[in-house]
Amino acid sequence: MTTASPAVSARRGATLGWLRRLLTPKIAIIVVVAGLIGYLALVPLYYLIWGTFFDANGFTLGGFARAYGDPRVGDMIGNSLWFAVGAAVLSLCVGTALAYLNVRTDVPFKGLFFAASIIPLIIPGILYTIAWIFLASPDIGLLNKLIEPIFGPAFFDIFTVWGMVWVEGLHLSPIVFLLMVAAFRSMDPSLEESALMSGASRWQVFRRVTVPLTRPAIVAAVLVMVVRSLESFEVPALLGLQNGIYVFTSRIYFVLRSYPPDLAAAGALAVGLLVFALIGVAISNLVGRSGKTYQTVTGKGFRPRPMELGKWRPVMGAVIVLYFFFTVVGPLLVLLYTSLLKFYQAPSGEAFASMTFDNYRQLFDMSDAMTALKNSLVLGLGSATLVMILMAVGAWIVVRSRIPGRQLVDHLSFVPLVIPGLVLGLALSFVYLRSPIPIYGTIFILLIAYCTRYMPYGMRYAVTSMHQISAELEESAQVSGASWWQTFRRVLLPLLSPGLLAGWIYILVVSFRELSSSILLYSPGNEVLSILIFEQYENGQFTVLAALGVVMVLTLAVLVVIAYKLGAKVGLRQD
Amino acid sequence: MNTAPLSGHRCGRPARRALASWSALMLLLAGCGGLPTATAPQAAAGGGPTAAEKLYAEVNGMTGQQRRDKLVPLAEKEGTLDLYTSMTSDVADAVLKAFEGQFDVKVNLYRAGSETVLQRIVQEQKAGYQGNDVVETNATELFDLNTEGVLADYDSERRRMVSEAGRQQGWTATRMNLFAPSWNTGLVTPDQAPKTWEDLADPKWDGKLAMEISDSDWYLTLFKYWEKQGKTDEEINKIFEGMASGAKIVKGHTVQGQLLSAGQFSLAASNYSYIVEQAKAKGAPVDYLPYVQPVIARPNGVGLMKTAKHPAAAMLFTDWLLQEGQALLVKQGLTPSIVEGDDPLKDVEIIPIDVEELTKNGDEWNKRYDQVISNGEQVDGN
Repeated sequence: MTTASPAVSARRGATLGWLRRLLTPKIAIIVVVAGLIGYLALVPLYYLIWGTFFDANGFTLGGFARAYGDPRVGDMIGNSLWFAVGAAVLSLCVGTALAYLNVRTDVPFKGLFFAASIIPLIIPGILYTIAWIFLASPDIGLLNKLIEPIFGPAFFDIFTVWGMVWVEGLHLSPIVFLLMVAAFRSMDPSLEESALMSGASRWQVFRRVTVPLTRPAIVAAVLVMVVRSLESFEVPALLGLQNGIYVFTSRIYFVLRSYPPDLAAAGALAVGLLVFALIGVAISNLVGRSGKTYQTVTGKGFRPRPMELGKWRPVMGAVIVLYFFFTVVGPLLVLLYTSLLKFYQAPSGEAFASMTFDNYRQLFDMSDAMTALKNSLVLGLGSATLVMILMAVGAWIVVRSRIPGRQLVDHLSFVPLVIPGLVLGLALSFVYLRSPIPIYGTIFILLIAYCTRYMPYGMRYAVTSMHQISAELEESAQVSGASWWQTFRRVLLPLLSPGLLAGWIYILVVSFRELSSSILLYSPGNEVLSILIFEQYENGQFTVLAALGVVMVLTLAVLVVIAYKLGAKVGLRQD
Repeated sequence: MNTAPLSGHRCGRPARRALASWSALMLLLAGCGGLPTATAPQAAAGGGPTAAEKLYAEVNGMTGQQRRDKLVPLAEKEGTLDLYTSMTSDVADAVLKAFEGQFDVKVNLYRAGSETVLQRIVQEQKAGYQGNDVVETNATELFDLNTEGVLADYDSERRRMVSEAGRQQGWTATRMNLFAPSWNTGLVTPDQAPKTWEDLADPKWDGKLAMEISDSDWYLTLFKYWEKQGKTDEEINKIFEGMASGAKIVKGHTVQGQLLSAGQFSLAASNYSYIVEQAKAKGAPVDYLPYVQPVIARPNGVGLMKTAKHPAAAMLFTDWLLQEGQALLVKQGLTPSIVEGDDPLKDVEIIPIDVEELTKNGDEWNKRYDQVISNGEQVDGN
């Protein structure tokens, strides 16, 4: 050391200083998070891209020909768009209206809201759809029977595109509700109050002040909804096929069913969705980026206060109750009713006389039911927490940092949304079967799969909240001497908490239903609840399945209530 | 430094930069690593026989008690058996309980749909991972697995009792799933119930008949059967067209059975008899008897893995499933592949699915069936 010339040691000192400056906790955290997001997204993307564009003979576009070459592709795209846009619009209207009434007004029956908003999300898609067949089929629908004296037979027909829009839209509306609740929570009501003061009507205020201020959240919701409904399979399969309404995803189903699975064709369809989704992400960032406009959480103190509905209060109360009965109580009652029967039959004295708890007993006798419940809880809580922590930092990188290529983090986090579950499963098993770390065959591979699948949702929830928080709060923290990490933890995280909590709840709930990649990746001892559902379904035990659905609704409802009670203690307080 | 100033409308540069980094990323991806979807060399196929294969070869020549006496101590020494199957969970639970009760061998069970079982084994074998010792699943998937070269030869006196269609290279049939029309007895009287497959094309069923979206194997087999009977392709197409016209298309046999007992439609073209039987046993107003003939049978079978970690346990399980297991399958309402004593189906004509044709030209048949059910329009014969 002593022999080193002064020039060399000076240079080394400079390098070390530079390194030391780089190795701050801030940089380290950013690099780790961006790296993780990239890694989670690139593994399946790499697999998908190879499968799409390369076969044994090299580069090919044959997959596109097979995917889009079907003579009915025009019809299919038309139906898909009609269905997807319809469901997105319906879920947006329902979700936003419910969120607004819940957060910003003094509407009665607020307790019903969380039930109304979360339960459709908890009920597995296949059960929710079949419950609607039992309610609104023109042949056997209970609702049709009920209103037959007034409107004539077969008034509702669930086997139409409108029926599909209705079921899918309601099933998806919780995503919007959660997103919008977070957005409205973080909004300064003084803006609305000033508008009211200046003589605007309530409707004008909503249209000209409230909606524009929450535009980032609305754009995010539309984006996720449209992609989700373009991908949805259960509803089109159960409701559309009966009358020959084919959608895009029926193709993915067919091409993946053959052996070896036609990854190229599935990939070609997924690439189509990916292009669409990335354009959407770009637009949503453009909208969000126009800066201060949406930053409603600023250095000015405020307390969100509910608006008085006045004479509209009872009307809105009635609407809520009606909505609640229609979308939650109806399907749930059908499930509950079915779960007590030996086989499904229309309600009659005979049916009620035959009711037993056998299905529930069978459920609890199942050897792996408790293991599966435990595994699902561990995976759901684990993936929801990990994803939201990662995405909180990820959103900061995307929205606040000036790091070149930060948009890439956003795009990458969105990629898993368009990757079919089976392809994700294949990609993960491909990688971890060859990894020296023994992850394959353990519960960790499922955790990785869930984190990958739900990353896009986490990112949307986090980015949307981040757009609403003004940079001046961070700046003042830093001026007062707080480090980046302290600012992030003590200022940003609490302010982001409504959005992060919403995302956390969403991921927790939907992770209980994840099947398409779990079924390929689980191993004996690591069964999850969705696999039990699949088994009962395969067995033809529909009534046991209904019982399982009821148990799931109860379990998750309790968890969500606890989460909200805890969540109410952090972040913005309401009066 | 830490907080970006509000960037206003500077979207041009980031967008371009994002595009640039995207393309760089794609190039990077294209440049590195191997082809994940390319067919890897067949695991353990190269070189000589595996240790497991040597054991199989030795035991294949043995019979009776001598064979059992050889396998049981070896299997119990191995202690575990890794089984991948697409049996439904109620059947699998019963099978496991009986097997574990009889031998001191712990069974690790992986259960999924047959396509998933196939995917999983192929993935594992390509990576040289010894996941399972034995596989029990549908004929089509077993045929594919054998083509991949991962299944070992198995022989026994029990195997030789299985009908010829169930003795395939690499696997042996254990049970049959039967396809038959079923109907809602509240909506269809015994007189009205179909007597032949052709009856399903009757216009009286328009709007009342349900067909399942993935039953192209049923379609293929019936098509081939009628061809052999001397019907022209045109006549056959016309029958299927008649069935499809006004048909309600459903996905999944369980849903089909459920909606049939609920009365959403009167008649289901091709449900599994065991699903209908289960519903009937619970009192649902459904029936499938007397059988519309010929009944179409989809074999399910068992195959030994070349790479088995527990080959003796695998072989013992296979022997057992073809012997003691057969009676157990009957008790579970399934149709066994070895018929002993009084055959309840002795007067019923059963034709197995043409697995070879399905594997070779399955895609073609999928497409044709897809077309039949989607619009009922004329489908070109071969």
